[in-house]
Amino acid sequence: MHITLKIYSVLVLLLAWVVLSFVFSPQILPGPIPVFEAIWENLTSGDGFFHLYKTIFRVLLGLFLAMIIGSAFGIVMGISPKGEKFLESWVMVGLTIPAVVYAIITLLWFGLNDFAAVIAIGITAFPAVAINMWQGAKDIDMQLVTMAKAFQVPRRDLIRKVVLPQTVPYVLAAVRYALGISWKIATTVELIGMSSGVGYMLNYWFGLFSMTQVLAWALSFTIVLLGIEFLLINPFEKRITAWRVVVQV
Amino acid sequence: MKKIVVRDLTKHFIRPDESRLDVIGGLGFEVEEGEFLSILGPSGCGKSTLLNILAGIEALSGGEILLNERPLLESEDGVRLGFVFQQPRLLNWRSIRENVKFPLEHGALSNEEQWHFAQRYLELVKLKGFEDYFPQQLSGGMQQRVAIARALAVEPDILLMDEPFSSLDEITARKMRAELIRIWQETKKTIIFVTHDISEAVYLSNRLLVVTERPTRVFDTVAIDVEYPRDYDDDRLFEMTKTVSRLFLKMEERHGNESG
Repeated sequence: MHITLKIYSVLVLLLAWVVLSFVFSPQILPGPIPVFEAIWENLTSGDGFFHLYKTIFRVLLGLFLAMIIGSAFGIVMGISPKGEKFLESWVMVGLTIPAVVYAIITLLWFGLNDFAAVIAIGITAFPAVAINMWQGAKDIDMQLVTMAKAFQVPRRDLIRKVVLPQTVPYVLAAVRYALGISWKIATTVELIGMSSGVGYMLNYWFGLFSMTQVLAWALSFTIVLLGIEFLLINPFEKRITAWRVVVQV
Repeated sequence: MKKIVVRDLTKHFIRPDESRLDVIGGLGFEVEEGEFLSILGPSGCGKSTLLNILAGIEALSGGEILLNERPLLESEDGVRLGFVFQQPRLLNWRSIRENVKFPLEHGALSNEEQWHFAQRYLELVKLKGFEDYFPQQLSGGMQQRVAIARALAVEPDILLMDEPFSSLDEITARKMRAELIRIWQETKKTIIFVTHDISEAVYLSNRLLVVTERPTRVFDTVAIDVEYPRDYDDDRLFEMTKTVSRLFLKMEERHGNESG
């Protein structure tokens, strides 16, 4: 039931695309068939995988960086009122500055290389992680912690078995947000200052006014992100929160 | 014989504005092994704090707690405590059996023994057949049974209970009290039971301590010499309840006069 509904929703979207593509000229909105043909061509011609790989590589490293900085900020803010007061404005400032500013600054500082791209992604995505982890740390049920202490549970087990399981939904939310942000800033950095990756290819085809290729590249990466969501994050979430599903029955 | 002696126990907190809040003001009592002692006091007095101190969750400000003449938590044979809270406080992502097993996972028991103990105490609280359920699939009363099984599974020397039935409806609470008495008689545990419910304390305990509002002191001790299992309609219990109620009123008056 759930799965079929998802398939229908994708089909409706594709149908709407087909209908709209008849209304507009192919220069403005090409239909799904030429776009998927272009994707196939890009991937089989050789360098398609290379550019996709470059972007995925930058996104994942940047995401990793954002998770580390963001978790550190979020946890300190969640458990220490002083830390919260001190770091809150940093996170808010981080959230306010447009991503493209980080992109330009890191490219100027570190040059046109992967390192600059990863730093830009990490800094752009970290506030979203921090906010989720902050909430997660605040929502830790202290009554359960007291319970574990009353049963003389060692500190290490207390963290591993009582605290961490409670933060799982927040960590997953943080990964999802940060992944979305990372991919957007990655393409921006690539567009401004890289000579590889999806952003670079978007810029290239933009220069040639090829709507088909622009859509093909955007769609390629969207498919990759959906793959990460449905093949990695979603199954993990289902497994680790199985008790919720059981409870709903 | 393991005898617990609490002597001149005091506890104060420092409020954020740095003023001092005296919660427990020189509390002293003794608990014999196998005794069911209730600590009865008005809501908001230091009863829960007292249990937390006994369990080592909070530090005491003064006085001492002794088990066989040694400080309770440093006693050589290692004292084991079971704690049942007002709320079940179960780990929602673990099954019932895994919840009962949880406090055993950090001791000397083998994995097999842990499962064995969990099973045994789940059966004792009559939850056989629910082992693989998750806490939120059970009613409040059943969840509290799980919490009791968890506390018993560590085979505690002392079972500390902090108003464990106060969030249940009266019918369920009555059943649970009868169950608790059965379990207590089967296991012969020492139980320290905190409550603000007079008839509950009278129904359950050998002896009850009436304690005052903050800063908590012992106002009086009442022995309940009625054999177990007890009947709710027993006239002797009813008389005791009235006596303790009067004691409560007297205490309120005196305490009111002091602070007024």
